[in-house]
Amino acid sequence: MNEISAIQLPLEPQSVAAVSEKFAEPAWMLAARQEAWQLYQRMPWPHAKEEAWRRTNLRRFPLDSMHLMVASEPLDEFPPCWQQLLAAENCVSGTLIHFNGLPLRATLRPGDRANGVTFGDLHQALHTHGELIRRTWMQGRTTRPDFNRFTALNAALWHGGTFLHVPRGVRVERPLQSLVTYGLNGGAALHHTLIVAEEGSHVALIQDRASLESGPAMAVEVVEIYAAAGATVRYVSLQHWGAQRYTVSVQNAELAEGANLQWVGGSLGGKMSKEFWHSALNGPQARSLMQSFTFATGDQHIDQSTYQHHRAADTHSDLLFRNVLRDRARTVFYGMIRAEREAMGMEGYQANNNLLLDDAHAHAIPGLEINCNDVMCSHSATTSRLDPQQLFYLQARGLPRPAAERLIVQGFLRPVVDQIPLAHTRRRLEDELLRRFDTDASGGAA
Amino acid sequence: MTLSLEIRDLHVNVAGKEILKGVNLQVKPGEIHALMGPNGSGKSTLSYALMGHPDYEITHGDILLDGESLLPLSTDERARRGLFLAMQYPVAVPGVTLYSFLHAATSAARGYEARSPQQQGRLNAHLIPMREFRQEVNEKLALLEMNPTFLRRYLNDGFSGGEKKRAEILQMALLQPRYAVLDETDSGLDIDALRIVSGGVNTLHRELSMGLLIITHYRRILDYIQPQVVHVFYEGRIVRSGDASLVDMLEEQGYAWVKDWES
Ligand SMILES: Nc1ncnc2c1ncn2[C@@H]1O[C@H](COP(=O)(O)OP(=O)(O)OP(=O)(O)O)[C@@H](O)[C@H]1O
Ligand SMILES: [Mg+2]
Repeated sequence: MNEISAIQLPLEPQSVAAVSEKFAEPAWMLAARQEAWQLYQRMPWPHAKEEAWRRTNLRRFPLDSMHLMVASEPLDEFPPCWQQLLAAENCVSGTLIHFNGLPLRATLRPGDRANGVTFGDLHQALHTHGELIRRTWMQGRTTRPDFNRFTALNAALWHGGTFLHVPRGVRVERPLQSLVTYGLNGGAALHHTLIVAEEGSHVALIQDRASLESGPAMAVEVVEIYAAAGATVRYVSLQHWGAQRYTVSVQNAELAEGANLQWVGGSLGGKMSKEFWHSALNGPQARSLMQSFTFATGDQHIDQSTYQHHRAADTHSDLLFRNVLRDRARTVFYGMIRAEREAMGMEGYQANNNLLLDDAHAHAIPGLEINCNDVMCSHSATTSRLDPQQLFYLQARGLPRPAAERLIVQGFLRPVVDQIPLAHTRRRLEDELLRRFDTDASGGAA
Repeated sequence: MTLSLEIRDLHVNVAGKEILKGVNLQVKPGEIHALMGPNGSGKSTLSYALMGHPDYEITHGDILLDGESLLPLSTDERARRGLFLAMQYPVAVPGVTLYSFLHAATSAARGYEARSPQQQGRLNAHLIPMREFRQEVNEKLALLEMNPTFLRRYLNDGFSGGEKKRAEILQMALLQPRYAVLDETDSGLDIDALRIVSGGVNTLHRELSMGLLIITHYRRILDYIQPQVVHVFYEGRIVRSGDASLVDMLEEQGYAWVKDWES
């Protein structure tokens, strides 16, 4: 590796200033970081008795060895295999790639740019959209710095970020894609994503993550979505973290009146992941649809907490989380629908379905907290094994047992995968899901 | 070696209870046999046992396909040897489109494999090339007068009773078996559909010189697909075989006479 100005920062107070200085940030951001650092120092790691952390053992996370790498040019080489995570440029409105916290490539179609759309690195956006960012910065219910020690850490030391702003009434023609990656020298991944869709705008963002690491490594990321009145946001959150990545991902959406969120998640990589999904329906008639698929193999552990928070009348939320588990994998689904007093006429639905292929274990805890009248709610959780009648039917048509299993699994996940608004991504994921049958029980992403 | 599907003194237990009590039957290529019998007499049990359903335990006897016992073979191996069962109750597989299923099944039935070394390791190399297959599917859809939009629907998921039966025959048309059992394919089909589907079966029968075993309760399908032999099935065995005139007798008298005749 040639001499480049990379600094390795331990998690220390001086690092906060160093990061901020490195990117010549406005004073308010430095202040926000410093305040968050205070929080970080005061707060303990979440306790194993907290509901959200009861089934994910934080002691297995490499919390003590975290450090940041901040470079002025990317360390390592961008592995070409990650190129395939991206759709061709002509299928999308723009592409943004981060490698080790630095933007490697940022494109946006001229038409969308002319409409005032901004899609780029969050550090740079602080210089162009500072006021806007300041107004929204970490205001979400679960993305406030004090939500837990992880959000405090991200607030204090985030490094590398995705920024998307769509002005009022603007429709971004095609989906945007963002790829967040870390190489061997990438350090802890503290990416921060901020999506602001103004009134009546339309946008779709597909964000993927990938990493290579030589030993246990952390990712602590925050995703903030703000959809103003009547805006439509489609956000696809995929992760292909490397096999030794331990991640905490806190994602939050705040929806104003009549806003419409279609949220899809796909978790395929990583060693242990804890995900928080929170959708706050703050304005009347806001709608949110949250869907996720996972195919956990080896000794992967994926723990998802979801929250559909109805805070206004006639809001509508739906959720479908489907997990396929192989080997000794474990998944946890903890889902809550909460309706506040103002949420008369709300509808909230939730379903979690788990398909076990081996000795894996799926845990499902659905919940409801309803504080108003005139609501429609339902939740269900199922855990099943492959259906012998389906297997017989498919085998009776000449498909060997493994091929029959694959078809059933693909079919099980298809309702979620089909929600992804980009054919290239859907096809790639389908291929990938099939390959998950071939890999040995090693877990992690290819 | 005789070319035939031969069932020899077959005894089958379901959930520990003997349902088939010594079935003997031989169907040769090109022959059409009908099997008629009251509800619960074991007709579907026979067809599942032929196909190797794990719930149906063969306690005695043998099933031979062209002289070779099928008993050691798995269900999918039996299918790939050329045995087909159009099921009385086709199973829904949500999320799997009819098209992708047909593509996978037909490719498997034809032992399709990657043709060139470059293709090996490619994900879809084990499938018949898209264009070639699509054309074939279209021909078969036309044969059965099926709407191509079916291909995009999930396999049997939400299909009406008649649609499921038609889709079963579509599968048979693509898999081109040598012996086929049609378990009450006619029930659920409306009058026109029965004519169309029967016409399709006849065409395939002619083209492939298939051996056919038609399980039914009604004469109508046998007016279209004319059997040389009719078997009467009763309490787990064939109690009488004869020509098509047996069908008239059953239509007129029901199965009561079998009981009289039995005792
Ligand atoms: N999986 C099973 N478990 C328990 N009993 C079964 C099972 N399959 C079949 N049977 C029983 O075996 C007997 C024969 O059933 P089968 O379905 O073979 O009859 P069938 O002749 O096809 O009747 P139908 O004309 O109504 O289709 C019935 O009494 C049925 O209840
Ligand atoms: Mg039957």
